[in-house]
Amino acid sequence: MEAPIDSAAHVSINAVSSCAKPNERVYLLGLDFGSTTSSALVASATLSRSRANGRMEFCDTAIEFRSEPVFTPFIGQTIDIVKVTALIHYWLQQSGLGDVSALNIGSETSHLNTNSVFSGGSIITGLAAQADNAAALSKVIHLIVGDSVIATADDPCLESWLAFMGSCSALSRYHIDVPILNLDIGGGTTNAALGINGDVLETGCYFIGARHFQFAVGSYRLLAVSDYGAVILKDLKIKATIGDTLNTNECEIIICFYIKTLEAIVLGNTEFFNSTLAQAHTQVAIQSHDYPKPIITFSGGVGELLYQHAAGGALASRTFFGDFGIDLARAIAHSPILSANLNTEQPENKGRATVYGLTLHSTEISGHTIFLPKPDCLPLRDLPIMAKLSPQSPNDQWQSAFTLAAKRELGACIQIIGVDALNHDKLLDETRALAQKIKAYWLVNQLTNTQPLLILIEANIGKTLGNYISDWGQSMQNMIVIDEVPLRNAHFVNIGRLHQQMVPVSFFGMH
Amino acid sequence: MAIKTLKDLKAIKLPKPSAPLPYFITMHGRTFTFRDLKHVLGAADISKAGDRKAGLAATDEIMREAARAVLSGLTLQHFFDHPLTNNQGQIDSVMWVNYDIDHATFATIAHLTFGELKDDLLKSTGAHIRQIGAALTGVMVAALTKLLDVHELVLLAKKLKTGASAKARTVVGLPGTLSSRLQPNHPTDNLSGMTMLLYTGLSMGSGDAILGLNPAIDNVANISATLHHLDKIRRETGAPTQICVLSHIKTQLACLKEGAPVEIMFQSLAGTERTLTDEFDVTVELLDHAYETMQTSSPLVGIAENFMYFETGQGSELTYNKHEGMDMATTEALCYGLARRYSPFMVNNVTGFIGPETHLDNHEMIYSCLQDHFMGKLMGLAMGMAPCYTLHSQVTIEGQQMATELLTAAGANFFMDVYLGTDRMLAYFDTSGHDDQTLRETYNLRPAPEFLAWAISRGIFIEDADGNVQRGANWGNPKIFCTAEGKFQEGEFQRLQESVPAIYGFENAGARPSNRVARLMKANQAIGREAIYADLRPAEIGDIALRELHTAANNKSEHLNDPTLGAILADSVLKTLKAEYNDVQIVISDGLSAEAIHHNIPNLLPVLLDGLNSRKLNIGQPILAPFGRVKLAESIGDALAAQLIVTLIGERPGGDALASCSMSAYFAYRLNDKVTQKAAADFSGNAEIHYEYSVLSNIYSGGLPSIEAGSVIAEKVFEILQYKAAGNRLENLMQHHLIPH
Repeated sequence: MEAPIDSAAHVSINAVSSCAKPNERVYLLGLDFGSTTSSALVASATLSRSRANGRMEFCDTAIEFRSEPVFTPFIGQTIDIVKVTALIHYWLQQSGLGDVSALNIGSETSHLNTNSVFSGGSIITGLAAQADNAAALSKVIHLIVGDSVIATADDPCLESWLAFMGSCSALSRYHIDVPILNLDIGGGTTNAALGINGDVLETGCYFIGARHFQFAVGSYRLLAVSDYGAVILKDLKIKATIGDTLNTNECEIIICFYIKTLEAIVLGNTEFFNSTLAQAHTQVAIQSHDYPKPIITFSGGVGELLYQHAAGGALASRTFFGDFGIDLARAIAHSPILSANLNTEQPENKGRATVYGLTLHSTEISGHTIFLPKPDCLPLRDLPIMAKLSPQSPNDQWQSAFTLAAKRELGACIQIIGVDALNHDKLLDETRALAQKIKAYWLVNQLTNTQPLLILIEANIGKTLGNYISDWGQSMQNMIVIDEVPLRNAHFVNIGRLHQQMVPVSFFGMH
Repeated sequence: MAIKTLKDLKAIKLPKPSAPLPYFITMHGRTFTFRDLKHVLGAADISKAGDRKAGLAATDEIMREAARAVLSGLTLQHFFDHPLTNNQGQIDSVMWVNYDIDHATFATIAHLTFGELKDDLLKSTGAHIRQIGAALTGVMVAALTKLLDVHELVLLAKKLKTGASAKARTVVGLPGTLSSRLQPNHPTDNLSGMTMLLYTGLSMGSGDAILGLNPAIDNVANISATLHHLDKIRRETGAPTQICVLSHIKTQLACLKEGAPVEIMFQSLAGTERTLTDEFDVTVELLDHAYETMQTSSPLVGIAENFMYFETGQGSELTYNKHEGMDMATTEALCYGLARRYSPFMVNNVTGFIGPETHLDNHEMIYSCLQDHFMGKLMGLAMGMAPCYTLHSQVTIEGQQMATELLTAAGANFFMDVYLGTDRMLAYFDTSGHDDQTLRETYNLRPAPEFLAWAISRGIFIEDADGNVQRGANWGNPKIFCTAEGKFQEGEFQRLQESVPAIYGFENAGARPSNRVARLMKANQAIGREAIYADLRPAEIGDIALRELHTAANNKSEHLNDPTLGAILADSVLKTLKAEYNDVQIVISDGLSAEAIHHNIPNLLPVLLDGLNSRKLNIGQPILAPFGRVKLAESIGDALAAQLIVTLIGERPGGDALASCSMSAYFAYRLNDKVTQKAAADFSGNAEIHYEYSVLSNIYSGGLPSIEAGSVIAEKVFEILQYKAAGNRLENLMQHHLIPH
């Protein structure tokens, strides 16, 4: 039935759009290059405000393309750039995002329809990140897939965070009061993340994975040993070199070390990590925690095998993949500590958690009332985060941050904390005062008109804060205020192009 | 399958319109004169707000009975020969279609007075009553209905239950059944939100009539996407039902052309041609086209016998002031005469949706529902009912529940299932899946047979050895649909839950929501209702000095019950105003939520004024106008000769406590120079246009917070003044960077 909402208003009214267009879909891309395998994911989603946290987020996500995992191409200790390039082009073509003509192996020209990709990420992890030319691969990825996608290498805490978000984010919100510890076990590393109600609280990274020892398929004849594998052999006094076959006892000793390390992570047993061997396997230690006993979940390639096994599925024969993956899965299943929740809680995406996390969670979406007088200046890449300041921070910290920002010709970012958006009575006064402070430091430090200064703030006051700083857009300087983005401990931030009055925001270099 | 071929309109036998006749009667020493048949019909009904406003309602009980006595003595032939014409004295297209009746049967009853007809029907069985109904026009049905009391409306409708069914994938309306339309409305057409509401409703045994969504955005892309989504859920759950997205008929035709699964075609109907064409943008020819298209192109061809879904409800013609002098029940009956032409699968009556200007209270709403249900059934329609209410009327949940009890007794084919009764998109309150199940249990009814078999297979219902249908272990558990490879998907379920506002929980106490859930729902609703009845408290809207001007509405009651009063300033106020020629005039009014003003203005107004002052605009002293409506902008704009009037006004609260503080900003641009007026007239096609509007809605802490809204409004003011335009013309000029000189 139809009826006017206000029957006195028989007028043709045009609604001023202040939010995302319902059901208009954006595309997201994720590329994951791990120690063992690499994979790609293309998803589409709508941008919608979350009822749970009030922020803009991806909603109604649909997987448009999911590549089969392929072995990450290596030539010895270096990544095979030519093959990886061809692989990326192939994925893009398969997903419908790329141009078929780009299928020339070695082509590094972007054929991606960059306008169709709202955001995304690529990550080089584990042993691949340790490869000599990991940084070169990052550049290639940028060249091929363009500005919408951030490329990072060797950012272990980011990887742990992504794996948690890709596998446990919704599960964690379902069990609202119960912490979840996710162990993402891949070929080279175990990325641990502890979260509660959808938020990651702690992250860590350990060199525990399936592929530190590589075998001839069907046997334990050693084909390759990583540096970390070599430390184990030495420390555990296993005298084996390439070409030797490990006996059952030797295999068990190694697996036992891995399991005890994982159990120590789960139990928060810091003493265990006093040993030289355990220390050598710790890239970033997860901080001990005082939370109630967490639910334990797994992801990554080993996690995938583990849940398959727990569901009664037959595992392939040992070393079928030429590594310790299957042994690790079996051993975890036999550990009462590690397998406590194996049959009761099901994380999502398991083996592909990182690439899902990368695709769907590596990017935050800004609020839809941001201050952006010069949208053409986007995207902004690799903006260093100079400081995290509150209105109460000492003046020397404010001055120092703006001095540093003024030296960055290509732009810089300052995060603002400590504004309580829920305090209605004081919010306007606080906003005006904050604007005056920023304006004063901005003018004193003489940032040029072409020098972008990005202010990131969680409170939904971005447009008004920007207007007060810039005298309602009449100042010529390139000030950007982006709000409703949860602040992270990171060194850098990327801002993507404007879409539906919002921008994608990605952090990297997490600490 | 018997698919009806439409009768050529020219082949419908019409009487010749004649000058209206007055009717006289003396009763208990008082002589009553009714100007014409329309006034007899209007006075014969119970007194309803809409008819009172139209000057048609009887002023007292004796006058009402006098009118009923007149009606009782008039013959059916007299009604046939004296068609109710439009204001130009012509039979409009809706009335025209109403004359498509069974003339052979009519010939046998034409001599009967309405009093005799009523007695005859009360002595008759369903088959005879149905046959008579096919021989009556909508006006005749309305006349008969005004002679019936509550028992008679229920009893006669109940006799019509057999034969009132219609078939798509399910057969809806069979004796012993009570079906439901599952209505998963979401404020932003969020697909996950719809999925959650669909899972919930299906798990409560709802949705056997249809899965039917009212969309927030009516364009082909969105409607197609939504249709495909509903189709996907239907297939995945295996529920034997049909789907519909209730967009405009033209949009649905376009979607069908593009291959979207338009299984059932929806349209709102009106009882006068002017309302139907001017307001709903529909003609009889377009309805004919849609009907014929569905016979060949619906995905249900070969399965369904009925393809159309219509919604009606007393009062829309009156609200648009296009009722041609007829009362609400009569125009409603004319809708049914139009609907009858298309043998619809469903006709849904939404009396109570509009508000207090048509139905003030429970009594008016309940009685109209009973009238409408009977009238539709008598005219052979598969009638379902959606007794509903808005918070700015005096209709309450108790009245709505009484209506459903009576309508179930009367044999309504279906009700709505809006989860917890709170529509999250349309800010009104309807029946819920809990209500539907409660009524099924109370009256020993079951869903449509095909759907019931499916629901039993899913553990939603069980059937015992004696054939009694009870709630099964899975009743009310939406998690049963959120599985993969037989395992419950906690993460997916969590995501779905998070996408629906005002979903207070899933705990049930038998067929009812648990007390915790019910209390939460009703507490939110209570806050919404109080927001409407709260008065503006100037001390709570900040320190900026305002000038207070009064509208023609003297109090809250007048304001709520007559929207036209809040659209103009009081005469005494107008006399004191002089042209000020400011660029911008801000007007603050409570509208339908004073709390929205208290919540938003203290932070919004200073930001807005700072923004406007930064451009050195001439700004009139902001006005506070209690009891105002959106169109008040024009009354003030004309009086003060302001260029742009920004009206900050409280929105109609729904069932969410926080959203009850939601405010809108309307931008009314006065077209005061000839060049701009001509440009606006050319763009709109309305030569008389003198204001253009833009609107920014959803201003509250859960939507667009007031402190940000101040900036957004200021920036929109800059654009409107720069481009000398508002509304779609502004967007068009901005898109092409066409700044006028």
